[in-house]
Amino acid sequence: MGDIVVLVKAALNPETIRSRPDGTVDIDAMSLKISDIDRNAVEEANRLKSALGGKVYSITILTWGPVAKRSKDLKMAVQEALAKGVDEAYILADDEIVPGDPVTTASAIVGIIKKEGLNPDLILAGEATIDGFTGQIAGRVAAKLGLPYVSFARKIEVKDGKIVAERDLEDYLETVEAPLPAVVSVTREINQPRPPTLLQIRRASKKPQKTLKAADVEGLVKPKRVIEELRVVAVKRKQIIIEGDTLEEIADKLIDYLVKEGVLQL
Amino acid sequence: MVKVLVVASSERDAGEALGAFSSAGDAVVLAYGKAAAQADAIAEYGVKVYKLDSDVMDVVFAALKKLYDDEKPSIVAGVSTKNNRDIMSRLAGLYDLPMTTEAYDVEVGEDYVRYKRGALSARAIATEKAPLPAIVLLAPRKTKPAEKKGGGSVEELKVEAEPTVKVVGRQEKVKGGVNLEEAEIIVSVGRGFKKKEDLKLAFELAELLGAQIGCSRPIAADLKWLSEDHWVGLSGKKVAPKLYIAIGISGAPQHIAGITDSKIIVAINKDKSAQIFKHADYGVVADLYQFLPVLIKKLKERMGKA
Repeated sequence: MGDIVVLVKAALNPETIRSRPDGTVDIDAMSLKISDIDRNAVEEANRLKSALGGKVYSITILTWGPVAKRSKDLKMAVQEALAKGVDEAYILADDEIVPGDPVTTASAIVGIIKKEGLNPDLILAGEATIDGFTGQIAGRVAAKLGLPYVSFARKIEVKDGKIVAERDLEDYLETVEAPLPAVVSVTREINQPRPPTLLQIRRASKKPQKTLKAADVEGLVKPKRVIEELRVVAVKRKQIIIEGDTLEEIADKLIDYLVKEGVLQL
Repeated sequence: MVKVLVVASSERDAGEALGAFSSAGDAVVLAYGKAAAQADAIAEYGVKVYKLDSDVMDVVFAALKKLYDDEKPSIVAGVSTKNNRDIMSRLAGLYDLPMTTEAYDVEVGEDYVRYKRGALSARAIATEKAPLPAIVLLAPRKTKPAEKKGGGSVEELKVEAEPTVKVVGRQEKVKGGVNLEEAEIIVSVGRGFKKKEDLKLAFELAELLGAQIGCSRPIAADLKWLSEDHWVGLSGKKVAPKLYIAIGISGAPQHIAGITDSKIIVAINKDKSAQIFKHADYGVVADLYQFLPVLIKKLKERMGKA
């Protein structure tokens, strides 16, 4: 009873972006890491675990291949989730579904939930992942499972078999009440994830992990969208550090530069 | 020609979505929430408008699903608002449709849609192609609205469904009266400021420059020293001023993602290894508490205000 499934992505780390000579992104040279907002989802799952009284399962679908090259980063991302309170991890890594598509990822998540007989009261996910940032997986999973969906939650409370959540929208906050089981996407503001302790990291490696292949799950939808090109944004910043013997001198030079650029009129 | 279903909660959003897809084919509009009251104005675009007087997500989704089933559009379009993301992701899941957000430069073919979008925290631009039917949510304010040619119609839509997720309260967000998207100069503050009162240094600089005040995530979200409409970044506002001055901001990727369209970026930070310097045109490595008073004094002198 009262289990939680938390969705964890090993996302392309935008900070490791590399350009090929032709200006396109060298995806193979980039590393993966746990998506920032998924850290918040894991932290929240850990916090709600005692209120719901069950286990926390994580599900991770590898969307950037090839599997052989990504397995180390993938393992690190899952280990971090395990160290932060996830009890058991499910991973699907298969070259057949990379590069992925949210349509495929959502079907894989639902496939794993069904195949493994997971029966969560709550499915948590970050509002979006740092690489694609389309923010659609949680809503897709909710619709596919026919569960209530609450998006952009920055606060969740469990009360008498229901959740009360605060949705953080552009112009207003909306408090909603949903029956369980439900799917909730969370924002970065929901909590402050703490890094795991050494002891937690050590324990994590002993927790159960199960890796599946595409053929293991039913209802998998093949990727539909194609990324035709991924170009590095060519914003060349001047990166001039203004030097000077005194702050007065530096301030004067800065003002001169800005006037010359035409962005400041005196 | 393909059939397009536009979903919008404001007249402006409806106009932009129609602008992006008007050459693609016939469009109908689902106008929900605030847009219900603007249904007649939206009909001026020469389209049929289904008006839904609700912005409860479960109700709007039920209406969207009904229209999708009835109209069988090849493209479902809108602007990337949070509520649109909510209902569209459900529709995408229900019918395994490809879906994207923050798209622009849209091109529609017989059986595909191609578009561009920012990716990797705005450090890359992706060109993607998806087979139809597909869901395309546009980047706000990047597409020219369609022309109003008149001659549309409005039909009220009733949805019987009781929402499973109940709205029990709403609270308007406090606004700081800024409009960062339109600002020419932005003075932006971060964690380098130790106390809320110290922000007055930045306020003074901003007043001198005729600038608006922006901030990094912690200042608005955690410390709440400024209201959220000052927040610049991936989860806040994307800005495009001619001059962006980042003071005491370390330059987290999510912040950088919000400022890449700035013409000139100035960074003031005492930590010379701060990421922000890699994304700045001009950097000053100095303690803001010492440098800002000097900069303000020099500006006043040179503006003849000293």
